[in-house]
Amino acid sequence: MNSFENYITVSFEVNEKPVTVFTAPNRTLLDVLREDLGLVGVKHGCDDSNCGVCTVIVDGKATKSCCMLIGQAEGTKVTTIEGLEKDGVLHPLQKEFIEHFAIQCGYCTPGFILAAKALLDENPDPTEDEIREALHGNLCRCTGYKKIIEAIEAARDDMKAQA
Amino acid sequence: MIMKFEKYFRPESLQEAIDLMKEYKGEYKLLAGGTDVVIRLKAHALRVKTIIDISRVPELSGVRIEDGKLYVGANTRLMDLSKNPDVVNSEWEILAECAGHVSSTQVRNVATLAGNNVNASPSADTTPALLMCDAVVHIAGPDGKRDVAVDDFLLGPGKVDLKDGEIVVGFTFPKQKENSQAAYIKFAIRGDTDIAIVNAGARIGLGADGKVSDARLVLGAVAPRSIRMKEVEDFLIGKKATEAIIEEAAAMARDSITPITDQRATAEYRKQMAYVNLRNAMTEALKKLA
Repeated sequence: MNSFENYITVSFEVNEKPVTVFTAPNRTLLDVLREDLGLVGVKHGCDDSNCGVCTVIVDGKATKSCCMLIGQAEGTKVTTIEGLEKDGVLHPLQKEFIEHFAIQCGYCTPGFILAAKALLDENPDPTEDEIREALHGNLCRCTGYKKIIEAIEAARDDMKAQA
Repeated sequence: MIMKFEKYFRPESLQEAIDLMKEYKGEYKLLAGGTDVVIRLKAHALRVKTIIDISRVPELSGVRIEDGKLYVGANTRLMDLSKNPDVVNSEWEILAECAGHVSSTQVRNVATLAGNNVNASPSADTTPALLMCDAVVHIAGPDGKRDVAVDDFLLGPGKVDLKDGEIVVGFTFPKQKENSQAAYIKFAIRGDTDIAIVNAGARIGLGADGKVSDARLVLGAVAPRSIRMKEVEDFLIGKKATEAIIEEAAAMARDSITPITDQRATAEYRKQMAYVNLRNAMTEALKKLA
């Protein structure tokens, strides 16, 4: 048990809102997002950065939140799946994942969507190979990935048409 | 599992980091990206009381070319390194290539060059690049700074020449020989996300007479650390790199190693794959030269 004397204060931004937590340092960003901030769209999977269900975007980069200490989040901007919908309108990725039925059990979906968002934010016109490379750190045991790739390609095209 | 460490510090200067390492001597672990440290803390494979997060130490960052040498700061993220225009398409391109083979996007976004090497995993992807480029490791500590050649820095699995209180600041990659090219092959079941069964790197330089003038051959995951195949290098130098000579060199490497059997592969399989992949790496380096 960690004494409160060792607790740290961490300030960062989550989904464009400033957050400050006072916490034991031996917790991950994932722990704090889920347990303290109620952002349970971020999933807890393998716990050792293999499966990718805990993927969030930190300062524009897809990151596995299960392997990031909460102290490492100081001063960063974090985006979780809860931050994608704007004024009741789904993000093109969310919309296309539904349209293409790129979801079966749904557990890996937030991680896939955020990994894809980080890719599209950096490279608005990725090839299928580039999409697959960006998703290499995310596992899905239901879909066989094909529908996921199709959904991301469709979202890419939607976003290009909107731009 | 619950991580057991108690204290967390995030120094904002190299001096502050060195002071903290002194204060918590023997009970701290440095964390740069944390992609390995955090996993080991969770698995209780690493038992320390204090974590010193060096990710915000400005002296550890920066990539630049100075006097024909490439300098890479310890905290350089592997993703940034794999895409850095000063490294890609340079004589040190192999470093960008190897950095791009480390795990997944999410891990490369966070993991650092120093972390991947100080871990001293025998299957590390960037260590072969350091060995193929004869990199120098810059170290700072309470008694000042020192430099050590990467080949002397690596001691064994998880072990490097870094004393309690010392920290890697960066790496220098010297000018590479004219007319030389390098190639790297990671042999793993699940691609880059996986840990290599064997990895092989080859840098080959050719002289004006078309004969091998420079050779640096590296095998990973076949010994307690990534190793240079120095006898094989000596064998190659001065010879014309024909298909038969390359085959012979790869066979020499295969016969000189004594890998272990583990959950990923048997020793026999590793030997055979070392042969195949080192041969292919040499062939690829020669192809780049052609």
